[in-house]
Amino acid sequence: MGIFKKLGWYFKAERKRYLFGILFLVLVALVNLIPPKVIGSLIDLMDGHALTVEKLWLMLGLLIAAGVGQYLFRYGWRTAIWGGAAQLEKTLRSRLFWHFMKMDATFYQRHRTGDLMAHATNDLNAIQNVAGAGILTLFDSLITGTTTIIAMIMFVDWRLTILAILPMPLLAVMARRLGMRLHREFAHSQAAFSRLNDKTQESISGIKVIKTFGQEKEDTEDFDRIVDRTIGINKRVNFIDSLFDPTTSLIMGITYVVTIIYGGHLVVTSQITIGQLVSFVSYVSSLVWPMFAIGRLFNVLERGNASYDRVQSLLNEQSAIIEAPDAIQTPAQGDIRFKVNKFSYPDDDHATLVNVHFTLPEGETLGIVGRVGAGKSTIFKLLLREFDNYDGEIDFGGHNIKAYTLDALLDSIGYVPQDNFLFSTSVADNIRFSSFDKVQGEVEDAARESAVHNDILDFTEGYGTLVGERGVSLSGGQKQRLAIARAVITTPELLILDDSLSAVDAKTESEILANLKHERQNKTTIIAAQRLSSVMHANQIIVLQDGHVIERGTHEQLLASDGWYAEMWAKQELQSQIENKIEGETIG
Amino acid sequence: MAKYESAWSKSIPFKQQMRIFVRLMGYTKLYWRQFLGALLAAGLLAGTNVALPYILQEFMDRYLQNKSATVQILLGFAALYAFGVVLKAVFQFIQNFAFLMGAERGLEDVRRELFRKLHTLGMRYFDQTPAGSIVSRVTNDTMTLGDFWNVLLSVIVGLFSVVSSFVMMWNLNHRIALYVLAFMPLLLFAIWYYSQYSSKVYRHMREKLSELNTKLNESIEGIGIIQQFRQEKRITKEFEATNEDYLATRKAMIRTNSLLLSPIINLLYSLGLVVVLWAFGVMSLDNFVAAGVVYAFTQYVANFFNPMTNMMDSLSFFQDGIVAGSRIFRILDDQEYAPAQNPGADATITKGKIEFRHVSFAYDGKHDILHDISFIANPGETVALVGHTGSGKSSIINVMMRFYEFGTGEILIDDRDIRDYPMPELRQKLGLVLQDSFMFYGDISSNIRLFNQDITDEQVQAAAKFVQADQFIEKLPHQYHARVIEGGSQFSSGERQLLSFARTIVTNPKILVLDEATANIDTETETMIQEGLRRLRKGRTSIAIAHRLSTIKDANLILVLDAGRIIERGTHEELLAKKGRYFDMYELQNGDTAIE
Repeated sequence: MGIFKKLGWYFKAERKRYLFGILFLVLVALVNLIPPKVIGSLIDLMDGHALTVEKLWLMLGLLIAAGVGQYLFRYGWRTAIWGGAAQLEKTLRSRLFWHFMKMDATFYQRHRTGDLMAHATNDLNAIQNVAGAGILTLFDSLITGTTTIIAMIMFVDWRLTILAILPMPLLAVMARRLGMRLHREFAHSQAAFSRLNDKTQESISGIKVIKTFGQEKEDTEDFDRIVDRTIGINKRVNFIDSLFDPTTSLIMGITYVVTIIYGGHLVVTSQITIGQLVSFVSYVSSLVWPMFAIGRLFNVLERGNASYDRVQSLLNEQSAIIEAPDAIQTPAQGDIRFKVNKFSYPDDDHATLVNVHFTLPEGETLGIVGRVGAGKSTIFKLLLREFDNYDGEIDFGGHNIKAYTLDALLDSIGYVPQDNFLFSTSVADNIRFSSFDKVQGEVEDAARESAVHNDILDFTEGYGTLVGERGVSLSGGQKQRLAIARAVITTPELLILDDSLSAVDAKTESEILANLKHERQNKTTIIAAQRLSSVMHANQIIVLQDGHVIERGTHEQLLASDGWYAEMWAKQELQSQIENKIEGETIG
Repeated sequence: MAKYESAWSKSIPFKQQMRIFVRLMGYTKLYWRQFLGALLAAGLLAGTNVALPYILQEFMDRYLQNKSATVQILLGFAALYAFGVVLKAVFQFIQNFAFLMGAERGLEDVRRELFRKLHTLGMRYFDQTPAGSIVSRVTNDTMTLGDFWNVLLSVIVGLFSVVSSFVMMWNLNHRIALYVLAFMPLLLFAIWYYSQYSSKVYRHMREKLSELNTKLNESIEGIGIIQQFRQEKRITKEFEATNEDYLATRKAMIRTNSLLLSPIINLLYSLGLVVVLWAFGVMSLDNFVAAGVVYAFTQYVANFFNPMTNMMDSLSFFQDGIVAGSRIFRILDDQEYAPAQNPGADATITKGKIEFRHVSFAYDGKHDILHDISFIANPGETVALVGHTGSGKSSIINVMMRFYEFGTGEILIDDRDIRDYPMPELRQKLGLVLQDSFMFYGDISSNIRLFNQDITDEQVQAAAKFVQADQFIEKLPHQYHARVIEGGSQFSSGERQLLSFARTIVTNPKILVLDEATANIDTETETMIQEGLRRLRKGRTSIAIAHRLSTIKDANLILVLDAGRIIERGTHEELLAKKGRYFDMYELQNGDTAIE
């Protein structure tokens, strides 16, 4: 019942709707008492040859009124209560979504997409069930239960009533027990389903390997084994599921047997009429659902409660990134001073950055190179305020980046991440993602700047082409260039390319770099790359290794110092020159 | 999302619906015992359901109305009724359980068939179809079929119930039974109208729900971008719009169900009851009417109307099933098969000679990616393929591995058409080392031997040692039984490459096909990989794609490819002497060694 209290805020806000719903439930319950009584009375009148045409019409009129009343009142409570449940789900979904929007990187490290999706779908469903089926059963059972029992006592016989409803609590117990077991088995069934899903996913992703080694048959056999196991697990689910109806019948059977014996005795001894017995039997059958539902109610409430707690604990998580109370609102602009003495990711003892210091004057370009995992992306994450828990200080335009509002800081930065995630909307909308009011001309300029304009024109619907599963499938290089276009469209004060040129060929790379140089005079740029040609023209270059700066200087200085940079340069120069050469000849 | 269109919004022509329906029903054949059992139980259940009121009717009319029941009679009827209830419970259980299991087995069969079919499809199919949608066909769409078959069961149960209660009413009173039957057209109309109207609303709701979840999923995955570009408010606004839309469709669905589903059936039932009671009432003015008959009649009227709610409720799943079925059959009917071998192919590869004769190939059947490729690799020799990305190196490997069917020309192994060898023979004798070394969930051993259980642990370890993968494996917590998670992301790409070498060498192929990785690998691993490659090639015919010229200096034949043609061919020395493209490339390499 705790869950009703926890959802109190919602019921309070929607009290009108729920009062209406419950009022209609009461009306339905009352109207429902009429038909059994009418049938019983009619039988008695017929039995005693006391029926007149007037009485018959009166009774039938009552029955028609009851039927129409039922229809209207049912419509009333259904729309009120089910609608309320749908409304609650929507409200919670909005809250959750907005919360997701505000949470920091740590949150997303802790919770995987699949889990968050599960909270936003399964958990919300369990909660809305409380506001729908939960409320319904609670009130319906109480109202229908009491009114029917009162009617049975009033219209028939109190002793018979007590004897007949004696087995009914069993119904509730059974529904609860079976419900719990079903829920447990169902969890196994769902696990089996995800195993199947994972297996299929893996086989499709690894299809080339399977074909290479000619293991189609073996892979299919493996799949068959998983299917067999799934069938075994689902058999148990189906077994329990199939038990609900028969157990209900058996328990109700006891009630009927009691009614036959004791009710029969009462009729024979003339303590009740035969019509009353018929009414009684009808009343008994209208008690089945409320009793059964009471047992299910506990399951609904329990699940709803657990789900509510899970959702609430998600909602209670706070972003570690907090704006200062009187934060600077003017967009950041100026020199960047990066002075981080030590940074470790949350829940990680290993220091990812150690004594990384650099100053980047406004309008200059910084290159960051190093192996995968050296800490390049981490520098950007700190600049973008994804994490605040470092020892040191980062200044932008003479102020600590933590002194700005997030809008003021982030609007000044255009970031092109490594994984270049694109949204499944049109190409144009992906490019103007950060400023939706940009017109087509500006979108095209950004596309030209990142050398993707011609590719887009080749798509079936040009800038209107959809990206993603339902639309065009893009090459890695095209994705990267779209992501660059998305970042440069606002001509940000600081542009960050996080290994964003790895999938484009050398020629396109130099074209993009030349465009950027031309379009971004007096603007600051940071380029992280594996390929050194991306950074060779930078004003300064730092080489990272295991989170330490091991070399720094201009391209020429670094070559002269004959360290890691010089070695890598020699290797890569060869490769790129070969490619350039071939490229040149192909075109020529 | 103007062009957003899911299968939910498309309507399928009636004729096609029928075809899909018949075909889906075909999958129940194998489990006819379960389904027949369920139907039989449903029939018996319908019988029991009308027998129980009949028992009470007899009880009332014979022994209660004239108050002649003795204790024995009371107990006897109670026992009879109890027996009926036990039968009812048994039939209910059989009907539900047999049906659920039949459906379960049937849908798992569809799953198996889909999975099997997928393995017969060519690489072209997988190039064109996103993995996510294939997975969803195999798992989610098949799931829908259980509910789909249930529609039929509920229709039949409804039918049984209507017929059995009508028969009982007919026996009691022909005229009044016909009055009740007169409600049938109204009932049918209600069902028809509901199914028409609700399927539209339902489809719309499902469509909105899938849109909602897609948006949610995408927003979580793209949260980094959204936050970096400060678009939280705009994205939330867009999401809210979809959220509102979904709520509206859900409320429409609730209203539809409240107006047209169980309340309307209840209303019809009440009216039916009124007609029956009116008829009995009028009759009783002149004649004797037995109380039990009236009671039994009211029960039969309830039995006549009530199953309809359940049936109508399940109708929405019919459409789901048809949609899912159409998607499933699209895969099952796909003709994009993997290349086939000649009928009766039974040749075996003994020497390992490879020859390409004027081979051309196009991925799409129109634009040739390979033009007139000819070369010979004698047993034990190495042929190296050189050229930049897109020059056709990988395509040569793709057609040789029979991932794709080539166009004109011939590919010969040991001087026989490659199509004369059965597929298992080719897979066993041709070892391909892929550029992208995919790792499966499992452990190190299972990733080396894959599903081939004939490979012993010793062979696995020997293979790992041979390619020097043993050095990093033995440092792992459980060594050869160290867990490999999805995609093997805990290993570096160099380590994955070594594992993939081991995977190939353990099968001891006659012919090696190597697709050298372009990924950036640190120098130490690089040296190990080069050494591993050298060992792999020893004593085998090899076709190798090389990015680093130094690794193929000793090749017997080097082919320089450009735009799908061989533009230069010869040994390292011959090509150098030619002073062409290869010479340029090699010069650059020399320049590089000078720097080093």
